[in-house]
Amino acid sequence: MSARLQVSNLVKRFGGLTATNDMSFTVEPGESVGLIGPNGAGKTTIFSQIMGEHRQTSGQIHMGEQEISALSTPARIRRGVSRTYQVPRPFPEITVAENIRVGLMPDSVWQMVTRGADRDRERELALAVGFAEADLDRTPAELSMGDLRKLEMARTLATDPKVMLLDEVFAGLTVGEIATISALVQKLRDQGMTFLIVSHDLKALEPLIDRAIAIDRGTKIAEGAYSEVIADAGVRASYLGGGGDA
Amino acid sequence: MNLRWYHFAAWGALIAAMLLMPRLVDLGLMGRGTLRTMIQACYLAMFAISWDVLSGRTGYISFGHPFLIGIGAYGTAILSKKFGVPVELSIPLAVLITMIGGLVVLLPALRIKGSYFALVTLAFMELMYQLVQVIRPDLTGGTRGLSGIKTLTRGAENGYMLAVSLMLAVALGCWLLMRTRFGTALWALGQNEEAVSGSGLSTIRLKAMAFLVSAFVAGLAGAFLVHYNGSLAPRAMFDINSVFTIIVAALIGGAGTILGPVLGAFFLTFLLEWLRPFLPGAERFLVYGAVALVLYMYQPKGIYAIIEGGLKRLWGRA
Repeated sequence: MSARLQVSNLVKRFGGLTATNDMSFTVEPGESVGLIGPNGAGKTTIFSQIMGEHRQTSGQIHMGEQEISALSTPARIRRGVSRTYQVPRPFPEITVAENIRVGLMPDSVWQMVTRGADRDRERELALAVGFAEADLDRTPAELSMGDLRKLEMARTLATDPKVMLLDEVFAGLTVGEIATISALVQKLRDQGMTFLIVSHDLKALEPLIDRAIAIDRGTKIAEGAYSEVIADAGVRASYLGGGGDA
Repeated sequence: MNLRWYHFAAWGALIAAMLLMPRLVDLGLMGRGTLRTMIQACYLAMFAISWDVLSGRTGYISFGHPFLIGIGAYGTAILSKKFGVPVELSIPLAVLITMIGGLVVLLPALRIKGSYFALVTLAFMELMYQLVQVIRPDLTGGTRGLSGIKTLTRGAENGYMLAVSLMLAVALGCWLLMRTRFGTALWALGQNEEAVSGSGLSTIRLKAMAFLVSAFVAGLAGAFLVHYNGSLAPRAMFDINSVFTIIVAALIGGAGTILGPVLGAFFLTFLLEWLRPFLPGAERFLVYGAVALVLYMYQPKGIYAIIEGGLKRLWGRA
């Protein structure tokens, strides 16, 4: 179920601002990598480029052997890469089950019309991320932030990804909710899922990753084992905002 | 699709009731005039369903629906009257041309949404209004439009049976379609387009299908209406009031529900008809506006939700 995600010499410029500066890294199949850095470092911009929501200025992105840099977002999802969003994006007026249903749909109108919904799979995904049976008919308006993140995970899982990009999955969660999401990520890791995870909550992130990549102002400043990366002088400086000599 | 027994019961009752209406005329319980009003309501209902498929679900609000209806109407009128194409052929051809027109409306929807999209569709309608008067008036009849178009039925009852059968078929078809996963995807599209794309679905394809279905219904209804009226006038066809009537019918009926717009269309048509003896002029529209506003404020999800809520309460009590 896994594949290798490779980002090579990725550059993204917004006018005069370089949001991603010659970024290269690889996430091996079954590996979990943390992407850390201060606010505005360009972590989410990298996610957006991997997903094709923002087109890179230059550079390539590969999933396994295949280059996906020129594909549309749905086409990339079909190749097996999927993401969650920092701010959850549920469909507010339809139920939890229907939200998951959208993720499960084939990208073919004909099949959408002729084949019914797979309610068992919807239920299975909802229960897998920690929803109760009764939650299936609730709408996102009735859900807590933790539940919305679970829903986001369920819809992402529904697209049957090989690589999951998780963007600030712990933001706005209670301690208990963090534990639930962590346990879910651990379970998926045990099953061989490949992860690239962005989080400000380093304490929660540490046990979920095999190694870390630190970036600042769009540039990679450190890569390696979490303890080494976090001990790096440049990384500490970027978090404290001292501009490199703090 | 998850159909329950009460869906069959409700549709069965609706179809039976609508088809038995002319018998009320035979029994002297209803006037022939009422039947003619119902014919108008049926066509408005189809226009409102067409609008609902495009705008009620996807959130791409069309202010130019007469653009599509007009293509269907002018298409079959010109083909049958000026080129002698038999109606059996001119109507399907007109529907096909309308669907191409639907793809033209899709073009702006690929880049803009919200009020910008609404304004562009309004421009489409105005453009069409100007074009039919200027380009080849020998075909379109110019400012005066066309008359003497072949009619398909004679008498109120036949006209009613044709209109109501068409309307029920369109309503049932669209209702079933919207109950599939495609309908769910269109709902989702209207709520968060980026998240639909982020779920691996091509939003362009979904929009294109919604626009094509909408254009199909608009073209069909427009074409049959012209063969019922036997005439066609650009001023009446491309009128901003008809745009509002379609949208208000869909909204106060219940946008996105397909059946709601049908209820809304009948409600509006009869409201205007009943007001006619008291307020013969344009003041009627003031009353209709006020009624629509109050209804909309009371229940933004429309008459459909009011009835649904009432039935649920009754069911709960029983």
